Amino acid sequence: MASLTLKEIGKQFGKTVALSGVDLHVEDGEFCVLLGPSGCGKSTLLNVIAGLIPQDKGTVELDGHSVDRLTPRDRDVAMVFQSYALYPHMTVAKNLGFGLRMRGVPKATIRKKVLDTASLLGIDDLLNRKPRELSGGQRQRVAMGRALVRRPKLFLLDEPLSNLDARLRANVRLELKQLHSQIDTTIVYVTHDQVEAMTLGEKVVVMRDGEVRQTGRPETIYSFPTDTFVATFIGSPEMNLYRGTILRNGERPVFQGRGFSMDIGDLRPNRVEGEVEVGFRPEDVKIVETGTGTLHAKVEMVSDVGSEKYIHTRIGQEHLTLRAPKNTSFRPNEIINLAIDVTRLHIFQKGVRVD
Amino acid sequence: MSRERLQNCIIRSIRIAGIIFFVVIVAFPFYWMIASSLRPLEEILMNPANLGLDIHKIDLSAYYDVLFDHGFVRYILNSFYVSIITVALSVALATVGGYAVTRLRFRGQSFMSYSILIIYMFPAIVLVIPLYVIFSHMGLRDSINVLILVYLAQTLPVALYMLRSYFKTLPLEMENAGLIDGCTRFGVIWRIIIPLSAPALASVALYTFMIAWNEFLFAFMFLDTPDKFTLSRGVVQLAGSVHLSKQLVMAASVLVTLPILFLFLFFERYLVRGMTSGAMKD
Repeated sequence: MASLTLKEIGKQFGKTVALSGVDLHVEDGEFCVLLGPSGCGKSTLLNVIAGLIPQDKGTVELDGHSVDRLTPRDRDVAMVFQSYALYPHMTVAKNLGFGLRMRGVPKATIRKKVLDTASLLGIDDLLNRKPRELSGGQRQRVAMGRALVRRPKLFLLDEPLSNLDARLRANVRLELKQLHSQIDTTIVYVTHDQVEAMTLGEKVVVMRDGEVRQTGRPETIYSFPTDTFVATFIGSPEMNLYRGTILRNGERPVFQGRGFSMDIGDLRPNRVEGEVEVGFRPEDVKIVETGTGTLHAKVEMVSDVGSEKYIHTRIGQEHLTLRAPKNTSFRPNEIINLAIDVTRLHIFQKGVRVD
Repeated sequence: MSRERLQNCIIRSIRIAGIIFFVVIVAFPFYWMIASSLRPLEEILMNPANLGLDIHKIDLSAYYDVLFDHGFVRYILNSFYVSIITVALSVALATVGGYAVTRLRFRGQSFMSYSILIIYMFPAIVLVIPLYVIFSHMGLRDSINVLILVYLAQTLPVALYMLRSYFKTLPLEMENAGLIDGCTRFGVIWRIIIPLSAPALASVALYTFMIAWNEFLFAFMFLDTPDKFTLSRGVVQLAGSVHLSKQLVMAASVLVTLPILFLFLFFERYLVRGMTSGAMKD
């Protein structure tokens, strides 16, 4: 176990900037998730931490000591790859024990540790099989086991669940969370799946174009996104976000969007004016009785996800999505009245949060 | 008979005829070589057009003569020595070289990797005269070890090219897993790349062996002392001798061919594909 600190990490491939000025601190025993769309540099960052790709700028520290000059072997980290990358010519037992064997651990100890890890992951009956005889889920477990068996300072996981089918992925996600509390180790986990990030991470790092856009607890990132990218990237259905202007006609400020206007309350501490983007999440809009709402929307489509319904509507020239209980029913072209929780509004100016 | 069935029938007979035609073309010289080597000399001289082989008249004395009276035991040993050393060096050098140009980043990497093949563009006949002169001046010409050097220069480009193409297909993540698990670069090559490249290494070994075993031009130019002759050089020596007897030359030719045949049969099982299945997600 160890804490991890990244300082000003920069990396270029030719003229493409893969990482720039990445700072990050992961506490000892913390579960940190790097989240971002594909090509945002999260996997490159993981490879830099592992020592597989040398960075151009900055330092990687484990427990406060720079490991920049150490090879992957000497950094004492373990990695689970997206493709699992098992050794196809070795049995599961050999795959699990390979890292220990390379480090000169006595055979009896290797056997014991391999058995312990295999039973922890429930793969003890597969030890004599070759990877090609395993299912996807079993291969994934072997890949996890190969990392676990060494009890390294740091675990790096590169989209480890992305090749599993949806049901299995949910199960393994839960197990991974339990495993983390059992073995109490530092984990850096890369994913593009926000559900994975929100459920697993104690700390979530949202990345885009090689930069860290926001770091924080999942609920902080969800409730207080620092910019419009984070605001729309996190949350499903996506946050409703509108470009427009804030007008102050008398007492109450009003947001003027394309083809609609909206009361935004006067709770803002700093008096924002002019060009802004205003956003609110689909659950912060309520359908209300005729005459009491602040917005009138026309229903375009209803998608039923079982536990609830997503109502896709149109206000002015914009779209608005809201969540509604599963027993509600609306028909297209119906006009509904909406009330927005103004305390939950997100206001951005030039893409950055201002409230 | 419907038109379609007629068509199928015609296509099938053409295919069978084609196969028979090519089998005959390829197999007939072999058959004649083996048959001639097993017939007594008088019979060949009396009835040269006879293609049949009488089981009761099989005569192995030609092989005995070739092996022990004409020094072919020595030639066989020489050929094995040259070929095996060439294979060993070629496979070893091509493995590390091929790995370097596929995976490592260094200045001039792409130039290196393409210039490898340029050497191969020069035909042997262009090289043989200058090399003859150079090695003569250095006093190294009449030597089996110099032959190994020349064969290496001939086989290494293709060996490198073959292995480079194969290494490119191996997943990089597997090597990264090896590095993180605690291997050095050489450890990765030895414990992961080589076991997974068995089919490619077998092809390279087979190819190199065949080149070295069958090579004639350089052996003919460079070797003077009969003790140092390789098999192909020995056969020509035999064929050019005054008392040429056909069944001896044929027996010698069979001796040249057999090892390659057995080698093919032995290596064939390593040439199967799909060694890496199971490593990756699918």
